[in-house]
Amino acid sequence: MTSSPEDDHPKPKQRPIIRLVIFIIAHSFLFCVACTVAGVLALLLLPVLAKKTYVSENALMPGSASPMISDQDVSGATRFINELNSLTLKSPTAGIEIPRLIALHMANLGGEVSYHKFQNQPNKFHPLHFFTSPDAEANIGNSSCESYATNTVGIIRAPRGDGKESIVLVTPYNPVNLSQNEALSLGIAYSAFSLLTQVSWLAKDIIWLTADSRFGQYNSVAAWLRDYHTPSFGGVGKLHADSCHGNNGVHESKLDMIIETEVSDTFRRAGTMAAALVIKVANTGEESGQDSLNIYAEASNGQMPNLDLINIVSYLAIHGQGLHVKLEKLKSLLDSKWLKFIGELFESVGKIARSLNPQWKFGIPANEYVEGSATLVSSLYNQALGVPTGSHGAFRDYQVDAITMEISPKLSRNTKGRQTEFLFRGGRLIEGVIRSVNNLLEKFHQSFFLYLLTSSNKFISVGVYMIAFLLLVAPLPVLAAYLFSDAAKSNPNSENSKPSKSWRWLYHSKTIFLTHLWGAIVSVIPYFLYQIPIPGSGFGSGSDSEHVARLFLWGALSIFILSVVLVFSGYRSTQWALLKSVMVLAAFIGLCLMSVINFATAEIGALLLVPMCLMIKPLKVAGKLQSALNMVLVIVEFPGVALYLVKSAFGLQNGSGYVEFWYWLESLWVWNSATYIYICMVHLPCWFLCFYILFHPCNV
Amino acid sequence: MTKPSPETKHQPWFWTSALASILLRLVLIVYFPNTLNFSSRPEVSTPVTSLRRLAEGYWLKQASMSPYAGSMYHGSPLLLSILGPLTVNRGEGQTSNLLCGLAFVLADFITAMLIRGIGQLLQAADIQSLKLLGAGGLSKFSENFASGDIAALVYLWNPLTIITCLGYSTAPVENLMIVLSLYGACMRLAPLAAFGWVVASHLSLYPVILVIPIVLLIGSGLDTPPKKLFLQQTHGDDHKETTNLSLNVSTFSWKRVVVFFLWASAWALYVLILCAISLKEYSGLGEMFKRTYGFILSVEDLSPNIGVMWYFFAEVFDFFRNFFLIVFHINIFFMVLPLAIRLYHRPCFLAFVYIAIVSILKSYPSVGDSALYLGLLGLFVNALADMQFSFFLFSGYLGTLLLSPVMHNLWIWRGTGNANFYFATAMAYACFQIILVVESVSSMLNHDRALKRGTATVEKKVQ
Repeated sequence: MTSSPEDDHPKPKQRPIIRLVIFIIAHSFLFCVACTVAGVLALLLLPVLAKKTYVSENALMPGSASPMISDQDVSGATRFINELNSLTLKSPTAGIEIPRLIALHMANLGGEVSYHKFQNQPNKFHPLHFFTSPDAEANIGNSSCESYATNTVGIIRAPRGDGKESIVLVTPYNPVNLSQNEALSLGIAYSAFSLLTQVSWLAKDIIWLTADSRFGQYNSVAAWLRDYHTPSFGGVGKLHADSCHGNNGVHESKLDMIIETEVSDTFRRAGTMAAALVIKVANTGEESGQDSLNIYAEASNGQMPNLDLINIVSYLAIHGQGLHVKLEKLKSLLDSKWLKFIGELFESVGKIARSLNPQWKFGIPANEYVEGSATLVSSLYNQALGVPTGSHGAFRDYQVDAITMEISPKLSRNTKGRQTEFLFRGGRLIEGVIRSVNNLLEKFHQSFFLYLLTSSNKFISVGVYMIAFLLLVAPLPVLAAYLFSDAAKSNPNSENSKPSKSWRWLYHSKTIFLTHLWGAIVSVIPYFLYQIPIPGSGFGSGSDSEHVARLFLWGALSIFILSVVLVFSGYRSTQWALLKSVMVLAAFIGLCLMSVINFATAEIGALLLVPMCLMIKPLKVAGKLQSALNMVLVIVEFPGVALYLVKSAFGLQNGSGYVEFWYWLESLWVWNSATYIYICMVHLPCWFLCFYILFHPCNV
Repeated sequence: MTKPSPETKHQPWFWTSALASILLRLVLIVYFPNTLNFSSRPEVSTPVTSLRRLAEGYWLKQASMSPYAGSMYHGSPLLLSILGPLTVNRGEGQTSNLLCGLAFVLADFITAMLIRGIGQLLQAADIQSLKLLGAGGLSKFSENFASGDIAALVYLWNPLTIITCLGYSTAPVENLMIVLSLYGACMRLAPLAAFGWVVASHLSLYPVILVIPIVLLIGSGLDTPPKKLFLQQTHGDDHKETTNLSLNVSTFSWKRVVVFFLWASAWALYVLILCAISLKEYSGLGEMFKRTYGFILSVEDLSPNIGVMWYFFAEVFDFFRNFFLIVFHINIFFMVLPLAIRLYHRPCFLAFVYIAIVSILKSYPSVGDSALYLGLLGLFVNALADMQFSFFLFSGYLGTLLLSPVMHNLWIWRGTGNANFYFATAMAYACFQIILVVESVSSMLNHDRALKRGTATVEKKVQ
């Protein structure tokens, strides 16, 4: 179409933008390479860019009051621990006795005690669970008495408070098999609880939940939270629970009488929860000179609690109690040579920058860099999986900020004096945290929700890590535009049966849509696989061979459905350039969506997907080196293979490949992780399309 | 150039696709009533279209109170009488509005058939205009697709339409009335067009501005290339042809327009009498106008939706509230006249542009409005074949519509976002809609210019 002068209708407001876009598209190769390299570099640079944490909410004022915990509280705790230990050793029905003992002590201290009975709910896999709210499931199950567990809940009502808010302390323990560490954690919480019944500064109610974790720590807390937030008015389950409770054998009448008068059967509540702390005691087995504190913060789908909560715990632990605060690190990375090399490189760059201009404070020591990256990688991995790292994850579903504090004493603590000192330390720490959270007028909102931690006092906020991600995915739309305009220019034939130039992509988008539909079907197949009874199995109780059988069945079904889709979708008559363009745009939209839902998954997914998308070309068109690289990439990027390589690279491998893979997938389903949906609906279709483009017949 | 009966070649393919989409909706309504909870999404159900509010209004009426008491229901009393009884049939407290769902599926199907009818009329008129302009050399300026079939299938298979149908909102009924009025106007049946227009404006206020394209359709017929082209043709042709042409071109039958307005006033009177009878025990027409039109115009409900007005009016001071209300609503009316002047020779396309602008700027938009104009966009594929940025727009729509529920979840359920996140996606969506409108208008004008150049060259050849 020749353009006569009257057709040059200028669009003045669009012209500079269009010029810029055309410029970028013309240099798309350079732009893509530069952006990808910059993205990877920014990711490696993240530990250097971490800033020191600070307490953002001024009302918190951690450490501004001196601890009030006294010998009386700690000695009471020691007595409590001794009683627990003796009960564990002596009594065969400890599973029922221990909750009653705890209830007795709570009542003696002056709190309101109630029992919460719940059943072990078998985790069901349903493909749409990610999109529904957590309390949409009904609490029906078989009602045998063995499947009931009892949480004991003690509540201190603040004498001058209004009863609208509460702070929760959780101590998980297994009453059937109480370990010494769990007894210690119960003791620490007891000392804090006994202090808090007497203080005058309490403005929020305190809930102490001793969670019966015989069916798992997370399940107990999740069940209590579910019943807390969904009041039910006299259901059937409650009657069963009560009948079980009354049918237990003979017990000491004194215990019985006291309990019957002071413990209530109704579910007691204390208002909205401002924060929750899960307290555990562990043996790290390391010989270190200090008691140490491990903080676990990741909840489901990569959500983190408000950074202020971690800040106050970390501040009080380090400055108040002299504890050594640690976060989970990937041990294998601490020894890796290339990471040390990169650390030294950044350190030297920092020194050069500082020598040029003393005001440029850039660069951290190499060993700090290595430790920061190890923490960052571990944090990213945990967030990317979408599986909570502890029972604090159950609180995040109800918008309550919670962390797990795992206090580990230094070795040689078996003496009584050592144990008392340990109880003091833990009690003071908890008292300090509760005193800070007590000061809050609103829920945590000031500090960051979207952050990554490189150590207990260094963080990277969303404004910084998003740049790394955006640099990595920016080449994708540019590549799509380049391929689209290239295909439009190089194909001037106008057969009458095809739509005109601007709408040709519709045909290819149908192909892409069908591929994504296949991905969605693949993601739903395991639900039906579980309905098919493989002989002698229920959910989660199958043997390894059944899991392998299910895995292969899944693979076979997927391939079968794929061949059906291939027949219908007319893959034959596509142009590879337009197909790649639409696929790259679909990958871009998928990655951007995922970055909002769970950033860590999107970052790792982008690292895997972007190089493959950028480099893939049909074997017939590309040069030899590029073709070889493409083949390697396509083999590596298949989801199963990629996971295997990642895990073995980081030394997380345990067990044979297939069963490990199935267990890993099961854990994703059980936690309603969005990562599973991402893998099946974004990564798998893109991988298959790249595979197809690689072997494209190229006759168009 | 005319292909061998394209309609028959497409027809079996069309009917299977149409029936498949109806079947899909029925399957989703019957078998998954509770899992796909679209009616709780703010993008789907708005305060004026939500079926839940209609059910509440009906219950209030059954309890001998005014349906507008309690400020839940803001729709028409006629809709209350028609759809209200269908909402009562619930079993065991489940929200299975099965009959309502079936009614909406039927409304969607009828809308699609009417769109197909409009498309066939438009295509016939297009072919005739091209023939009159000396069509032999002009075939390359427009493809010849069965635009009616394509538009109807786009409407039926658009995920937005399916989601609106499953989301229990009354938008399918409103869309049906709008398309009915356009169809009546295309067929030059004044009673049908008047009925559709009156009921559509009664249900939601904004279709009032469609009076301009409907009057143009009834007065001077369907979309044609600009009149100047026909007048150019008179120079080189026979005298006989010119008289025919001038008859075709220059008549604007005022008689039909007057008949249309008479029918419109008759239907309006009838509708108002029915409403008055329906509300006579409670409060009468004044309250109805205050609660329906007044609610739409004064933007009382500020719950988030996919439009741009809720965020703004949550922040504006009371002193300026009326001023900004006037500004926002006049924004639509300012665009009516210039567009009418520029596109008066293409009244169907003008109606499409009006509907698109209204769905961007109305006070409570939802994806049902977008579904309507995306379906109508399919009617013009022949002329819009060269629309630029179609790929960019498509991916923009897709990305924004997928991002919007995620941002809503982040704001409301997770608490890690805030209203700005959600409003950002609403603004991006409005941006993409505006780009779509601008691009479609400019490519339609380009098409007209191409026709003008084409006829100029043909004329030169003849001379």
